[in-house]
Amino acid sequence: MLAKRVIACLDVANGRVVKGVNFLGLRDAGDPVEAARTYCAQGVDELVLLDVTATNDRRASAYDTVAAVSAVIDVPLTVGGGVRDVADVARLLDAGADKVAINSAAVADPSLLTRAAERFGTQCVVISVDARRTPAGYEIATHSAAVRVPRDPIAWALQAQELGAGEVLLTSIDRDGTQRGFDTDLLAAARAALRVPIVASGGAGDLASFAEAYAAGADAALAASVFHDGMLRIAEVKSYCAARGVRVRA
Amino acid sequence: MGSPTLGILDLGAANRANIARALERCGARTTFVTTPDAIERCDALVVPGVANVAYIAAELDRLQLREPLVRAAERGVPLLGICAGFQLFFERSDEAPNARGLALFDGVVRALSAPRLPHMGWNLVEERERAPQWAYFAHGFAAPASSRCTVATTELDGECFASIARRDGILGAQFHPERSGAYGAAFLASFVALAKETACLQSA
Repeated sequence: MLAKRVIACLDVANGRVVKGVNFLGLRDAGDPVEAARTYCAQGVDELVLLDVTATNDRRASAYDTVAAVSAVIDVPLTVGGGVRDVADVARLLDAGADKVAINSAAVADPSLLTRAAERFGTQCVVISVDARRTPAGYEIATHSAAVRVPRDPIAWALQAQELGAGEVLLTSIDRDGTQRGFDTDLLAAARAALRVPIVASGGAGDLASFAEAYAAGADAALAASVFHDGMLRIAEVKSYCAARGVRVRA
Repeated sequence: MGSPTLGILDLGAANRANIARALERCGARTTFVTTPDAIERCDALVVPGVANVAYIAAELDRLQLREPLVRAAERGVPLLGICAGFQLFFERSDEAPNARGLALFDGVVRALSAPRLPHMGWNLVEERERAPQWAYFAHGFAAPASSRCTVATTELDGECFASIARRDGILGAQFHPERSGAYGAAFLASFVALAKETACLQSA
């Protein structure tokens, strides 16, 4: 049986790990290669590397950082940030990605997901959905939450799935960096609508928050600051969840 | 005999850099292969994954690598297929109904039937008389466990599929050994050892 995954996320800007709150106020959180090595040794199931300034600065992803991180790990690496076309996907795979996450460019041109899946398979194509609560429900955002898009995140994720995305990286902008727990309402709604795996992102806090994300239907739970700041260790998260009946990789 | 040279087929869709690095950690030299001549010069060949089978099957024909690859396998050159590369070793795949597989293994690759797909993440590889091992999977299609060459299986929501197949020097893994921790590294090391052994025998 498939295990639930614990994922560590490296938000990278200018070759350094950074972390903010609600996508704002980025602070330095260390060297990405060192962090990758540490998380790998702690038993992380997968790493996500997001070049958080790539789309806004209109430059390509930090290929050197991707290569350096990829070279020291033996678990899969998903890379996102600044992916605009199929050639970008190929370049990221050549640098060391195993999967590629797409957000802004797919919102602008959803057919990108189909074109990427036709070449690399759906299992390589991750749709990254940044969702924010509004008085009326939810909406999505692109460009590292800077651009609001009046669209329902679940409807968009479902469309992305039908177009060729093989996984959804579902981030709550409201919870990002707050350590208040994942948005389990959002996760449950996504689970009810989607066939593809869902990665919960935004709000990882205490140990219980991981178990809650899985219970809400997430196939993987992603965290950044709680790992960067040493508040939680990956093995600790896994043993906590395993003791509560969640199947994890030993 | 020094390090064997492993040729990684470059069919335009793969995490080839990660496969090269993982094989090099096992002591192999690696080279990316795009021509029939280059195939002849390798001690062993790897067909990587992270691809749509339709795409790499078309690239295989466009680059005229199909016959050289099958001939190399017939000569006893060790061959490793990973994920979509492995699926290409079967007769056909549901992912690409109009594409022809290499038919190195009997059987047809089918869409998995689990409610949640693709099968993405860590699952157990179960080989007879061995403790189950965690490996990383990312695929929506798989070869049936009943294939004659199956040597290990994996279960997803009650459905079993072939996670490793082997016929002589032809080996395939549905998981990603280059991303499967110590178990994956050991799997690749055994393939590199096979490549080295075979190269020694053929040069003797």
